[in-house]
Amino acid sequence: MNNLTDRVGLGWRPDLAAGILEHLDGIDLLEVIADDFFSAPSRQIRALKTLAAQIPVVLHGVSLGLASASLVVTKRLDQMARLMAEVRPEFWSEHLAFVRAGGIEIGHLAAPPRCSATVDAAAANLHRAQAAVGAKPLVENIATLIDPPASTLSESDWIAGILSSSNCGLLLDLHNVLANGLNHGYDPCEFVRQIPPERIAAIHIAGGKFIPAPDGRQRLLDDHLHDVPDPVFDLLEETAARASGPLTVILERDGDYPSMDSLLAEIAQARRALATGRERRMQPVEVVA
Amino acid sequence: MSSTRLEAFLARLYVESDARANFKANPRAEAKKAGLSDEQCTALENFDWIGLEMAARSFAQKRQLKRRPSWFAAFLLRLSRLRFPRFL
Repeated sequence: MNNLTDRVGLGWRPDLAAGILEHLDGIDLLEVIADDFFSAPSRQIRALKTLAAQIPVVLHGVSLGLASASLVVTKRLDQMARLMAEVRPEFWSEHLAFVRAGGIEIGHLAAPPRCSATVDAAAANLHRAQAAVGAKPLVENIATLIDPPASTLSESDWIAGILSSSNCGLLLDLHNVLANGLNHGYDPCEFVRQIPPERIAAIHIAGGKFIPAPDGRQRLLDDHLHDVPDPVFDLLEETAARASGPLTVILERDGDYPSMDSLLAEIAQARRALATGRERRMQPVEVVA
Repeated sequence: MSSTRLEAFLARLYVESDARANFKANPRAEAKKAGLSDEQCTALENFDWIGLEMAARSFAQKRQLKRRPSWFAAFLLRLSRLRFPRFL
């Protein structure tokens, strides 16, 4: 029996809006991309607030660059703070990434070198973010096709260091774990076991595809355009078996949309994986004398 | 702090194909030219070259996608003008 109030929701996307509104009773919450509303007119903010009155909403940032060695831009934090004050989501989240440096916009989430300097820099940025926004974000591990150069820490140690320094919770993206594990040669399940379980508050599940690499091999691209693969549900079960607090799971899909029935089936599969993991957690551990 | 220089150097590699070509031809010299420390220059000699090309391609596609109009914003604007019983 699962005594923890785990929830499963969906990323809000315009192409899915009609289906989502039709099936609100089967979706526990919605995750909205905050950056889409930073410069939105008041009419759009009102629409978002109306949505938030119908179903729990959480905000997800994609461009703050909280794990950058540079200070996060104040203007962007102020935009997040204003949106938080308007929408009053249950929580907000951002990625452990850098997205710009030296005046160059990379265009997406890049993995910084994993070292003590970037642990300290991320903690400083997270402290600034909390002060500006009024609440700590959950921080999310990212997928990276490139093994971050000049790293001296493993990914799990780097993340654990930031969580400890900042006292933030973790939004654990399980497809990112799978992709990085396969692309850079570590066991995704072992990675999940190395993350402090009490810090895991939310989870992303998504799909991707293998793309050819110049050396004739393949790497897994986290594109959110495909169904959630079985290994991600296995990792979800493992996480549920370890996490001590309630989990909020969000299914991310960014294109090539399947039917709403198909997405609801993935949500149902996530609920089953959570339940199985929680059952494992409740079972007494056998002690060998 | 040299971590900011390193990030700026990486950002250039991820975005500019000429910078990637120059770096691949002579990693240490290019890293030195960017003002990176000896330790960082050494670390960059063991670069994930395959990952660099794949990541650069992926970042370029993301930048291309961002140049398209925001259908998300447009949808909510339309939604805010509608009136139907459950939602408004």
